Amino acid sequence: MSADTRADEAATATGDREVGPDDGVLAVEGLRKEFGGLVAVDDLSFAVQEQEILGFIGPNGAGKSTTFNCVTGTYPPTAGTVWYKGEEVTGTPPHEMVKRGMARTFQSFAPLEDRSVLKNVALSMMEDTLVTTDGLLGEFRSDAREICERVGLGDRLHQTPAELPHAGMLRLELGRALGTDPDLLLVDEPFAGLSGPEVESVSELLLELRDEGMTLVVVDHNMRGLLQLIDRAIVINFGSLLAAGTPDEIKNNPEVQEAYLGGGLE
Amino acid sequence: MTDNSQSRLRLLLGKLNPLGLPLRQKIGVFGLAFLIALPLLVSLPVVGQFVVMILPASSWQLGLYNVAAALFFAMFAMSWDAVSGYTGEISFGHGLFFAVGGYTSALLNMGHGLSPWISILGGVLLAALAGVMIGVPALRIEGPYLSLVTLVAPLILLQVFIFMSDIFGGEQGLSNPDNLIGLGFVSNYFLALGLFLAIFALLWALTRSNTGSILTAIREDEDAVSAAGLSKAKFKIFAFVLSGAIGGLAGAVYVHTPVGSPTPSELMSVIINVEVIIAAVLGGMGTIVGAALGGLFVAMLPDYLNLVEFTVPVLGKSISEMSFFLFAIVTLFLLNIFPGGVLRWGIALGRRATGRDGSGEEGMAADGGQSPEDAGTNPVAQTMERYQEYYDNMFGGDDE
Repeated sequence: MSADTRADEAATATGDREVGPDDGVLAVEGLRKEFGGLVAVDDLSFAVQEQEILGFIGPNGAGKSTTFNCVTGTYPPTAGTVWYKGEEVTGTPPHEMVKRGMARTFQSFAPLEDRSVLKNVALSMMEDTLVTTDGLLGEFRSDAREICERVGLGDRLHQTPAELPHAGMLRLELGRALGTDPDLLLVDEPFAGLSGPEVESVSELLLELRDEGMTLVVVDHNMRGLLQLIDRAIVINFGSLLAAGTPDEIKNNPEVQEAYLGGGLE
Repeated sequence: MTDNSQSRLRLLLGKLNPLGLPLRQKIGVFGLAFLIALPLLVSLPVVGQFVVMILPASSWQLGLYNVAAALFFAMFAMSWDAVSGYTGEISFGHGLFFAVGGYTSALLNMGHGLSPWISILGGVLLAALAGVMIGVPALRIEGPYLSLVTLVAPLILLQVFIFMSDIFGGEQGLSNPDNLIGLGFVSNYFLALGLFLAIFALLWALTRSNTGSILTAIREDEDAVSAAGLSKAKFKIFAFVLSGAIGGLAGAVYVHTPVGSPTPSELMSVIINVEVIIAAVLGGMGTIVGAALGGLFVAMLPDYLNLVEFTVPVLGKSISEMSFFLFAIVTLFLLNIFPGGVLRWGIALGRRATGRDGSGEEGMAADGGQSPEDAGTNPVAQTMERYQEYYDNMFGGDDE
């Protein structure tokens, strides 16, 4: 109910007036990223509401990943402002963003290949302090194990990432992100290469996380599987906003259909 | 909460019970006990003669001096391992820190009349500062570029020592400053052993805590460290400062003993810089224990070879004349058959022999937080991979 009205507000916000710090838990205004002469993100503005699942959709090369690299601090944006929880965080380094409660998964899985699943998750739960007695006695925080179980890796705790199947790698990415105890989770291409039942179980997990109070942004170039999951979607093309709205509105939007060459929306 | 701390205490007590230790740690405790008892053993009637035979010198007095010198070298190797073995940023000039520590303390002692106990502190502080000076650039320049910086830094320092030879004594070095505790063979041995144990305990605890996991994570993938909400910059600088301070401490105490003096050849020559790396890699890079063992081995092998009177027939040279050459050959051979280090090989062997695969026990692994089986990657391979990436980028590889 209220999620819908908030979504409408956000949609109008992105259209007419400028986005401000209080427009959502994550608010982006006039974001621009140039690589040499190439404009990858072109004055993009949007806001993410608390506890919604926002789909961030666009064809390959539309600038989705660049946008999120700018938001999470991987690249400094050329211009524009990013607010998170009402505070300006433009250009804040990635580990600071994680500490503030924004975690992300990587499309090109980036686990630590030299250690087990459990130790990968345990790393993201560690405090950012130099000298500590934590871990000295070999005890693992039992919550690291809980997170592994939660993302469906309970029976693979001691395997290394190289031993995991593709879906297992994705689950590990989610586990590592959840280990940082995020309030907002950016999930990059979660469904790529997953089978039908796997898509379903990952979707279930994401919905569960939302119900517990997390905000999720799911990035994908493919709308298949995504439209059932999300509350609202933003579609970008060539680095700028193409459409925003509910899944149905997006599906029936002629411009979006055009961007996707009139197909692939079913 | 109290329940939790009680269970932690019980866990700690359990870990400290020597009978409950894994085999490899029992061996380590036995080795340390042997080192502590060494000066007593040599004075025993029959055992003493046997012990003198296995010491790297012809008399027990010289033997203790040589072991003390080897202990200092092992401290140098451990200080290298703390930064390069764990973060994978290879320092080719760790002598910089030993020299800054040693020279600072010697000059403060001789030039300004400070007690060695205070001048050593000055050496540690300046060496820690040198750690900052290498650690901060390490945030921007990485891999082979940083290695070049570490390679050049001690060469620059050596040139400063040469053109300001009225202060630094040039290539000859300085004369011996005051000794901390006189010339006693036994007392200086215990000084070296005490410092060795203190540094070992500090680095062991640090690398077995979460800090060690984070440092090895930097070696494996820096982006993954950032993604875990951890500041890689902070940990990298910390590793360099810690390593510099410890290397400086070892260098400073070293020059205040009869076994060492503040000269470039003992503290910062290219040979020292390279031997430190060989010692740590040979023992087992990124384990501290391996660096300690490798350091003792690398320092004492030439001493042992010097004792051999045998003359090689065809060459007409004695083994002792060729000791350094033979040392290099033996090291090269060992590096080839144990690329992950002797320690990892030994642990894997021990686990096979005792029928435990080690995968059941999680947590405090003996080898710096990784089982040898983990992914089949060892720190040397990881570091090579890191360097490969930089070379690929350097020669215009695609930026994907």
